[in-house]
Amino acid sequence: METGYLIGATVLATAGAVFGWYSRAEEGLGNRAFWWMVGAFICQLLFLGERGELRGQCPLNDLGEICLFLAWSLTFFYLVTGSTYRLSLLGVFTAPVVVILQLVTLTPGALEVNPQRAEVVDAWRESHAAFSVLSYGALALAAVAGVMFLILNNRLKKRQLKGGIMTGMPSVSRLVQAMARIASVGWVVLTIGVVSGLLMEEGEINAHLVVAVITWVLYAVLLGIYFVRGLPGRQLAWGLVSLFAVSLLVFGKL
Amino acid sequence: MKLVCLGLNHETAPVEVRERFALSEKKMTEEGTQLMAGSGVAETVVLSTCNRTEYYAVVEDGGVQHLEDWVCQKHDFTGSREGIFYHHEAKNAAAHLCRVASGMNSMVLGETEIFGQVKKAYRAAHESGTTSGILNKLFQRAFGVGKRVRTHTGIQEGATSVAGAAVELAEQVFGKLKGSSVMVVGAGEMSRQTAQALQSRGASSVIVTNRSFEAAEELAREIGGAAVGFDDWQNSLEKIDVLISSTGAPHYVVKPRDIEAVRRKRKFRPLIMVDIAVPRDIDPEVGEIEEVYLYDIDTLQQMANKARERRIAQLKVCEGIIEEELEKARLPGME
Repeated sequence: METGYLIGATVLATAGAVFGWYSRAEEGLGNRAFWWMVGAFICQLLFLGERGELRGQCPLNDLGEICLFLAWSLTFFYLVTGSTYRLSLLGVFTAPVVVILQLVTLTPGALEVNPQRAEVVDAWRESHAAFSVLSYGALALAAVAGVMFLILNNRLKKRQLKGGIMTGMPSVSRLVQAMARIASVGWVVLTIGVVSGLLMEEGEINAHLVVAVITWVLYAVLLGIYFVRGLPGRQLAWGLVSLFAVSLLVFGKL
Repeated sequence: MKLVCLGLNHETAPVEVRERFALSEKKMTEEGTQLMAGSGVAETVVLSTCNRTEYYAVVEDGGVQHLEDWVCQKHDFTGSREGIFYHHEAKNAAAHLCRVASGMNSMVLGETEIFGQVKKAYRAAHESGTTSGILNKLFQRAFGVGKRVRTHTGIQEGATSVAGAAVELAEQVFGKLKGSSVMVVGAGEMSRQTAQALQSRGASSVIVTNRSFEAAEELAREIGGAAVGFDDWQNSLEKIDVLISSTGAPHYVVKPRDIEAVRRKRKFRPLIMVDIAVPRDIDPEVGEIEEVYLYDIDTLQQMANKARERRIAQLKVCEGIIEEELEKARLPGME
């Protein structure tokens, strides 16, 4: 059954990407990507619910679960942000990332076939894992908004003002605002994740936690500079995209 | 009895002829009533804007020539009438009205103001009792067609003027312009038009600077802005979101160092700069600054031309809608 939910989520997110692209000129909730992503989100929840039941803990124990949790988190923040700031086009950029993450989960071997049920559950450890991955959803979305900004900025600078990807694009100001707000939310959630990590029962400082703290500091510096001193939108966008990419790569290696 | 339309517009008559036939709102009603007093005219609506004067009437056969004679006499026009007036009858007159209401016959293709003007003219005629069965149905249908054309085609999409293109660019950068601040360098006509276009979309404050401070003050007064001296306009850069430059200076007025000096104070907020001057006022190197979006007159002109081309391409679709709607309506007086 859980594979059915996963396939459903992938099909719906793919539809979100395709239909969202063709309806991108429509504003707000008119953008069909939004509703396809709502469907994908429900399927992701059902899958994670079943997996959590099987494990008896937060389902973040294998590559497949981590990727799906990240896809769920990304979808969650898109749904919140997309409707609040009328950044529906963000869905067109988000949906392909969600599809890729879910395809990784669907890859044979990514999910344990018979996951073992946890005997002892450390609440701090669970919180650390869940909040960290959740924050990565927001930070991924901020990076997606950053990519959108870089494309928009490049087109505006080159005076390529109409057609193609420019149809339905939010304004420069709105994207800068969205990048800063989403990244701030991600950073706050990451703070909870890092603090929970430091309170884990194991008590040892491992490489994973060190990287998490460094990531937290770097995001704090970037956002601090933006809010206190100010930062051109392009630099903020590059900062968010590169920080996300590098930290994800480092976590992947660990 | 049949429906006729007699008119002249920017395509058929020069401004000195158009102004002779132009009518105030009150005069439109008066003339409609006077026309009805003559024999053979059952209904009238008179429409007069800066680019056209048109008479829609329900007349006896052959009445359109009589109508033209009456109008020329009324306006004391003795010049050559060749090519000045156009006549449309029955279905063609109805289709013409639909085109006018949809902005398809306007100087700026697809402009929206004409729709309100036609509505006003009809309402005035209706209230003065010069309309009845045929014109009431025709105008109601024309308003429906006008709405459908505007909502179902791209006839009014994109800006077709330099000022409109500047607004479109500013909206691409800032989204809504509500609360934004504008600086106008140079107090010429283009500056005024562009500043007013931005104000009409929500720009709340306008700062005007000009080599002649009197001219800056005059423009500031006219558009409800504030004037600053040409020696210290750079100090106001900190507050603004949009800068429009249109001076007659033979050299660059705005240089990269002017912007570099205020970047930190502006917290690197986006700044859109529109250079409508020839020779250019803003050094192109200003556009290299990350948060600056610089556009010159060529970019604006290209945008306006492209929008115009897109609107022209929509005409066929609009004609299809008009034909379909008139076919469906089966209006009286079309035989």
